[in-house]
Amino acid sequence: MTTRAEFLGRIREQVRRSPRRFQADSARRPPHPAAEAETIRRELHERWPETLEAFRREFEGVAGVFHRVASIDMVPGVVSRIAHEREARELVSWHSTALGADLAPALGARGLAVHQMPAEEPHSVAERERLRAIAARADLGLTGVDLAIAETGTLVLVSGAGRPRSTSLLPPCHIAVFDRTALVDSLRQVGVFLEAWHGDGRPPAAGGAVNFITGPSRTADIELTLTRGVHGPKEVHAIFVEQPIRG
Amino acid sequence: MSDAELATPFRQRAGGAIKDTFLQEALTIATTKFIGLRRDAFASFPEGEALRDQARAIKEATLQELDRHLETLIGNVERLGGHVHYAATHAEARSIIVDIARRTGARMAVKSKSMATEEIHLNEALEAAGITPVETDLGEYIIQLAHERPSHIIAPAIHKTKGQVAELFSRELKRHAPPDPEALTRIARGELREKFLQADLGITGANFAVADTGTVVLVTNEGNGRMVTSLPRVHVAVMGVEKVVPSFTDLMVFLAILAKSATGQKLSVYTSMVQGPRRGGELEGPEEFHLVLLDGGRIAQIGGPLREALSCLRCGACLNVCPVYRQIGGHAYGYTYPGPIGILLTAMLEGTPAVKDLAHASSLCGACVEACPVRIDIPRMLIDLRREVDEKRIAPWPERVAFKLLATLLQRPRLYRFAARAGRALQRPFAREGRISRLPLFFGEWTRTRDLPPVASRTFQECWASEKDLAT
Repeated sequence: MTTRAEFLGRIREQVRRSPRRFQADSARRPPHPAAEAETIRRELHERWPETLEAFRREFEGVAGVFHRVASIDMVPGVVSRIAHEREARELVSWHSTALGADLAPALGARGLAVHQMPAEEPHSVAERERLRAIAARADLGLTGVDLAIAETGTLVLVSGAGRPRSTSLLPPCHIAVFDRTALVDSLRQVGVFLEAWHGDGRPPAAGGAVNFITGPSRTADIELTLTRGVHGPKEVHAIFVEQPIRG
Repeated sequence: MSDAELATPFRQRAGGAIKDTFLQEALTIATTKFIGLRRDAFASFPEGEALRDQARAIKEATLQELDRHLETLIGNVERLGGHVHYAATHAEARSIIVDIARRTGARMAVKSKSMATEEIHLNEALEAAGITPVETDLGEYIIQLAHERPSHIIAPAIHKTKGQVAELFSRELKRHAPPDPEALTRIARGELREKFLQADLGITGANFAVADTGTVVLVTNEGNGRMVTSLPRVHVAVMGVEKVVPSFTDLMVFLAILAKSATGQKLSVYTSMVQGPRRGGELEGPEEFHLVLLDGGRIAQIGGPLREALSCLRCGACLNVCPVYRQIGGHAYGYTYPGPIGILLTAMLEGTPAVKDLAHASSLCGACVEACPVRIDIPRMLIDLRREVDEKRIAPWPERVAFKLLATLLQRPRLYRFAARAGRALQRPFAREGRISRLPLFFGEWTRTRDLPPVASRTFQECWASEKDLAT
């Protein structure tokens, strides 16, 4: 068995005696990422319509379906239309505190079987299994969005309490709801937010996974034929809400 | 590739590949398509060139303090409740993972695509221990069912037709499978969905690991990476020590160029960043997280001649543009990593003798350097390897004698002039229409696959000498 000390010792020895190929530096981290993230948000406050338009273009370019509504209470209508077109009935959803609004009653009234994931950790293994089975058989998964990246048409979702990783993964159709507060221009800006969440800022949630989702699951492994929905969702919808969801 | 296949000399493996008409067509279509996608992606991304330079600098800077960055990574993974293991050799890596599987009572392991686990031949070891490994990347799943090895870093089943995949699924899964990629993908989704939900153990590689935060980063298009890190009770990530990057700011530089180089996408569909075991309040995520740090020959190259190859992102761009890879495909190389970078990685992981033939399987045209997102100078290292193969007497003796003679000749002008005159006399029976297409005896090895230009009727030196006479 190689120990940590032996392993690192060998690396240290090699590093010490090997010449540098050239003078090189790693990327310069923002010294105060939380403040810089705040600045990015403030700038976008003015020009979000452009960023949204760029996001829409890229998101549709990766086969995402974009919707736009005026306020959060119009979201259940869009969701039920998507469900209706696909003859879908079972919907699994992030907890209302994670979504920023309680959409379950309105969705239920439109004939959907809504399974809202709990805001606390399940108390037993059996309960955990039960919830996972629901996610595995649901037709639709409804989530929020922590960042929407215009450069790439990407949705960034942070896992945590009431925000299971599986909601955006197991159902064949993923529906994500977001507003202007999630919009960012570029991957570089996302870097600032990630630094802030792990540094001097507050992360959106305390889970162990951050997922970047850029369109539906895809493969081209058989004769390079593009096929969607191999393991993850076959469809990804993003519903943009003009009025900020949390008021 | 099996050991029996490896016993076949490289030249025969390559010869077989060249005669395989389907493989030839598949290779041409796939590599041409990837080249176009990559070119278009960078054409509409003006900052790409500067980011490539920066990515290259970050890899070098990280290597200059690799011990420190790994210590930070280890500290953070442990702080989060994960376990870190140290594998000096492939065998040690296998036994660490088999032990984890045994201890946790795992009977089935789902795997997302990982070159590192291919490299250590993990599947065979798991099977021997009674644990069923299931590859979940569609391409890897296909070749696992077919008992083969990947032929391309990012498109492992590039060498198979949909008809072959349909036959394979029908036979192995005992159900009707039509030769239609959409239907075949749906079948695989159904089969593998069950496995994701049942498996106790998820095994992945790591595209990157962020030292600052103890985060393992996985890039996939299918979503299997997310399944494997979310659903099973235990997650084991295997990574070469060179995969660490200092911070998220660095990571973003790589993410901006990785998918563009590999498939021409701006980003792959899923970039999953997982940090240790699941946290309080979470419904999913593993109870146990293990990170296996792999040496396997990498550490010795930090100060070795192959140091630059440690920057490789495994994007496959150099394969697509390589005139040799485009002709022979991945299997002919005989080891886990094919293509130009594969030769260097094989030398790194298996030792120089493994590449005594492969070191010559390159035209040194430099297309790989152009395509490489971090501009690894592959031809320079191939030349160094050729020298090493010669100096350490790994090369076969006729090759060494021939090059020795050539060196002697090139260093002695008089002898060279004499040899040119002698050659001109001796070549007469063999030169036809300005070409020598067939030489006798063992010289025939040279002309077997290529023509030799004959010695000119007037050599340059002779022309030069008479010009000088005229001038004076």
